[in-house]
Amino acid sequence: MKISRYMARIALCLLLAIPAQGAPVELEDDLGRTVIIDQPCQKVVFLVENALNTYYSIADPETVLAIGDNIWKRELKEDFFRAVDPKFDDKVRIGFEAGLVSLETLAAEGPDLVVLWATSPEDENLKAITETLGIPVYAVFITSIEDMYKQVREMGTISGRADRAAEVEAIMKSYVAEVTSATEGIPDEDRPKVYWMWSDVLGTAGRESGFDDLIYQAGGINVMNFWENDASRMEHPTVPLETLISLNPDVIYMWYNEKLDPEDVISGTEFTGWKDINAVKNGRVYEIENPFLFDAFSPRMPMALMHLARNIQPELFADMSIDERLDGFFGEMYSVHYPGYAAL
Amino acid sequence: MNIDYGRRKLDAVHNYSFIGKRVLVLLFLLMPIPAFLISMTIGTFPITTGEIAGVIVSRIGMDMGHPSVYETVIFQVRLPRVLLAMMVGSALSASGAAFQGIFRNPLVDPYILGLSSGAAFGAALSLGVVSWIPVQLSAFIFSLLAVAVAYSMARTEGRTPVVSLVLSGVIVSAVFSSLLAIVQIAVDERALQSIVYWMMGSMNTASWSKLESSFPLALLGCLGILSLRWRLNVLALGDEEARSVGMDPERYKGIFVISAALASSSAVAVAGIIGLLGLIVPHILRMIFGPDHRTLIPLSITFGATFMVLVDDLARAALGFEVPVGIITTLIGAPFFAYLLRRTRAGGWE
Repeated sequence: MKISRYMARIALCLLLAIPAQGAPVELEDDLGRTVIIDQPCQKVVFLVENALNTYYSIADPETVLAIGDNIWKRELKEDFFRAVDPKFDDKVRIGFEAGLVSLETLAAEGPDLVVLWATSPEDENLKAITETLGIPVYAVFITSIEDMYKQVREMGTISGRADRAAEVEAIMKSYVAEVTSATEGIPDEDRPKVYWMWSDVLGTAGRESGFDDLIYQAGGINVMNFWENDASRMEHPTVPLETLISLNPDVIYMWYNEKLDPEDVISGTEFTGWKDINAVKNGRVYEIENPFLFDAFSPRMPMALMHLARNIQPELFADMSIDERLDGFFGEMYSVHYPGYAAL
Repeated sequence: MNIDYGRRKLDAVHNYSFIGKRVLVLLFLLMPIPAFLISMTIGTFPITTGEIAGVIVSRIGMDMGHPSVYETVIFQVRLPRVLLAMMVGSALSASGAAFQGIFRNPLVDPYILGLSSGAAFGAALSLGVVSWIPVQLSAFIFSLLAVAVAYSMARTEGRTPVVSLVLSGVIVSAVFSSLLAIVQIAVDERALQSIVYWMMGSMNTASWSKLESSFPLALLGCLGILSLRWRLNVLALGDEEARSVGMDPERYKGIFVISAALASSSAVAVAGIIGLLGLIVPHILRMIFGPDHRTLIPLSITFGATFMVLVDDLARAALGFEVPVGIITTLIGAPFFAYLLRRTRAGGWE
């Protein structure tokens, strides 16, 4: 009698532990499309890397079926991916030809879901996969910090691990709060004006971009907020140099740039026209040195925020050790150390 | 009596049109001066014409007490950009006129021998693959390489027939376009975006250092074309006709190709691919002044500079934000060109 009761309890526990197979769930992707999946997905293909990073912090790496063969700066990232997914090197790579995904490779793998980057529902890859192969596609298009949190929740739904997703979101928010608790009280007029420099130098982050949010949370204010031109609302406007000089930013923040260093902007011969800008005069030109660790459109967004905050508000964050915070963050998110990515 | 009256009237009309044409030529030759002055007053930085004059006066010794930023905007931002735009316009227009003369073909532009495809490939290589090579240098080297390959390919038994040159230019363009496509497929989205933007042509990163590195070669190319311009009239008649008047057409074709390639490669390397300019400026001038290269080449240099700098004024100031100048060149040039084409027979070639 006692044994049979134990057996019944064990059976119940096993039933609860096994995720419900085939339960259809509706998701809304970043383009507002409704995506219906059988939760939890067992075979997911990632053609966009930032969502793969998020997924690894939540889901079982075994459920990553294949990966797009388009990882930018892979030499900076592969050690990390191998650490969080021991079978990373064995995953099928989905190739692209002239920007178009290899449908045959994808069809041969038979995924439950494909996650890709798309800026419009008319994206050619998105349409080809849904219409030709009939495979559900989740489109990623991150334009704000809130979009990153949404991605965490959606990856939780896809993997059937909503609890872990909630934990990940809380971890991210706690690291963000370390910065915002110190910066949120700063009045706008006391915030340094920040010019975000994309690799095309005069291309910047507009008022409605994710970096506008990030700069504000880091204790600065995007200089585009002072530009009285509708172009300032664009995601990636190009500013005339004369306009930039009249806007006179206090800080210039460069995205990772292989051809340019902050020193070039401060004293390079091609930047003589920049010499009267406050940021240049005061040597306050900084660069995101590692586009993997400080990728703002990935779950490491809080680390990017800390990088920015340390330079935008040096007095407030003088004691902050980025390496220490990275180690703590990688530990909580992926159970690995930084640097080296050894398991905890 | 009536015959005398008629002859006097004809002479007067002839003199008037002769004088009128000379005045018009002079006007076109001097056009860069007002264009330069106007362009120096245009920009998004709030500074008045009076303040500009004050800063210039300060520069020559009389301190007018202006903020130093005014001087930076005028001498470090606006002046190099205006001069760069003028240089690019002159180089592309003079090269276009020279190539049209050599090829005896109105559809020819400075990019006929694969120069733009070579430059685009060079720039793409630097922007997406071999990042330690400067974009400007890479674009310059590959644009010249493309022209050199096209010219060598067309040269057989010491001669370079025009048809062979056109065909080899087409082939070299196709090869470099394919190589460019391979680079575009292989690179990431960010690099691809930079490549596309570079190909649209822009002068928003103009600086003295860019001007210093490109100006000597552009000048050398333009001077080469300018000093030998009358020979283009002979070349335009055909190789046999040129030989019959004692001219070595191969030698001069080579000199013109090298000069035009140097001038336009220097321009493309610093400004990207600016379409249509090298085609339409010589055409517009030919429609107004006729096909004589003795007039056409100097006017291409001055009117090309004027056209380009005014278009760049629009690109940098009309909307308050930067628009790639290559887009505006095409949008303005194409309808204007179409209008002139309808008003003249065969675009001035007859």
